[in-house]
Amino acid sequence: MDNVVRIPSPQSTSLARETFELFLIHEAKLLDERRFRDWMELFTEDGAYWVPAAPNQESPFNHASLFYDDRTLMKTRIDRLEHPRIHIQTPPSRTAHIVGNTLVDKIDEAKGEVVVSSTVMMVEYRDESQRIFAGRQFHRLRRAAEGYKIVLKRVNLINCDSAFDAMAVPI
Amino acid sequence: MATQSLEEISKLIETGRVHRRVYTDPEIFDLEMERVFGRAWLFVGHASQVPKPGDYFTTELGRQPVVMTRDRDGKVHVLFNRCTHRGAKVVNDRCGHAARMTCLYHGWSFDADGTLAAVPIPDGCAPGFRKEDFGLARVPRVQEYRGFVFASLAQNGSSFEDQIGPMKGSIDDLVDRAPDGELAFDLGQHRYAYNGNWKLQIENVLDSYHVPFGHASTVNKEGAQFARREGDKEGAKVVETKDQNKTAASWRNRKSYVTGNGHGWSSNTVLDDGKRSSPAFDEYKRVLVEKVGAERAAQILTPRLHNSLIYPNVSIMGLNIHVRVIKPIAVDRTEVTVYPVRLLGAPDTMNFGNMRLLNVTHSAASFVQTDDVESFVRTQKGLRSLATDWVDISRGLGAEESDRTYNATRGASVGELAMRAQYKAWLGYMQEAA
Repeated sequence: MDNVVRIPSPQSTSLARETFELFLIHEAKLLDERRFRDWMELFTEDGAYWVPAAPNQESPFNHASLFYDDRTLMKTRIDRLEHPRIHIQTPPSRTAHIVGNTLVDKIDEAKGEVVVSSTVMMVEYRDESQRIFAGRQFHRLRRAAEGYKIVLKRVNLINCDSAFDAMAVPI
Repeated sequence: MATQSLEEISKLIETGRVHRRVYTDPEIFDLEMERVFGRAWLFVGHASQVPKPGDYFTTELGRQPVVMTRDRDGKVHVLFNRCTHRGAKVVNDRCGHAARMTCLYHGWSFDADGTLAAVPIPDGCAPGFRKEDFGLARVPRVQEYRGFVFASLAQNGSSFEDQIGPMKGSIDDLVDRAPDGELAFDLGQHRYAYNGNWKLQIENVLDSYHVPFGHASTVNKEGAQFARREGDKEGAKVVETKDQNKTAASWRNRKSYVTGNGHGWSSNTVLDDGKRSSPAFDEYKRVLVEKVGAERAAQILTPRLHNSLIYPNVSIMGLNIHVRVIKPIAVDRTEVTVYPVRLLGAPDTMNFGNMRLLNVTHSAASFVQTDDVESFVRTQKGLRSLATDWVDISRGLGAEESDRTYNATRGASVGELAMRAQYKAWLGYMQEAA
């Protein structure tokens, strides 16, 4: 398994659930291994990564967000994460993600898209301190020739509107 | 509290240097809350955060919980958020709307202007109990300027005009950029915190010296940062490409200005230098010209007071439009709120474009602010060191010039004039006897 999960057309939601859960586990592993470029390749060209800054935030376009990266910004972010003088990653973060309670929320056969939701927890350790991020994440996935890719990953952190100490790595 | 004698405090600030205790001593911090935040005119919030009668917004002035409200006549109030009965915080949400603000504990309820409206089971009140005596206490002095609400916790002291007057131009510069001449703080907010003293943040907002080094991770090989304004191709260049020990020609002419009271600002590149173009920016210019005429539009798009600090707790950034509020929590803990600002009358594409750019520069997960925060945290750690007691802020010392246009003092923006002015004001507040 590399950057995309190759799966047959899902025949039932139960089959889909397991397959998509594997996709999410694979994604989490890429982040934990700091393989950010491989992670970015999980996204479609028009894909986006979104962490809202308010509960029930309706849109990333008329309200501030913690992250709202299209592929261009994602690339800038990752270039910076690989920069030798990114002070907020000196030393780098170490993370452990756990993904669970996965559900297939929507299947759109016509578009070849599914929405998968799951609970995510990320423990981050950096520079003598450890903290936890937690919330529900939603992946809108689109079937491509080589498997499924992420059209939108939205992470609803339970404390999204709190004051955060600086964050550098995606959740 | 005042175990610090006035004489002892005066020894903490010398010409071009500051004693490390100013950043690390909890007693100094307590004294700051009393003497700086307890006296100065502080930014509370923007009137658009309470657009309708009954709307409220809670915040802190120094360590005082307050609530900003709008009453049924449309007047904005700033009240202490503390029940006059047994002391509970009355309003607990960050913002919202209430016909009356009701205390959770015994149900005392207050009107938006603070009046005690009703007390449950009134027949049990002590003889002579008068509701008029139990309204929510008002923050002694409140003043609004073009939607910016300021308050002072002190009954007496320097007037709003004397304190904030010289910085009105910074508010004007931002508000005038709205074709309708009005702002709205309705695009949400960014909140970040760090384990460091509050003054590290206010020093930083007028510090151009740190940019090429502190933000190395966002600067390309040619020394230019990524574009930070709608319509720009690339961002600021502080040092020369070929000789990174030299300030870039474009940056050399930039100045920092100080006006007394700790306030200051830096000059900026022209807003409309002919190089900026995007469909959103071009449309914005068209609308602005249509509203105010070409001559006035050109003035508005010519820099005056940009990236300002209104001492001690608010910074107005004209570069990528936002307002930043600094809240001290403890000697080594600070919280900052950054509001993207909507220029009313400007095209949505422009406002939302600015707002999205601010995610990248100033969210807790941004590319720029995070490296600043790391600098603050590491400074706080470094200042534990007993190697020396002194923090150096001497760059540009002796090279200050007086500026008649602004009735201010100016110096190189890559110098430390602004920090010296901040500590002069600090000493003034701290030495003024209670």
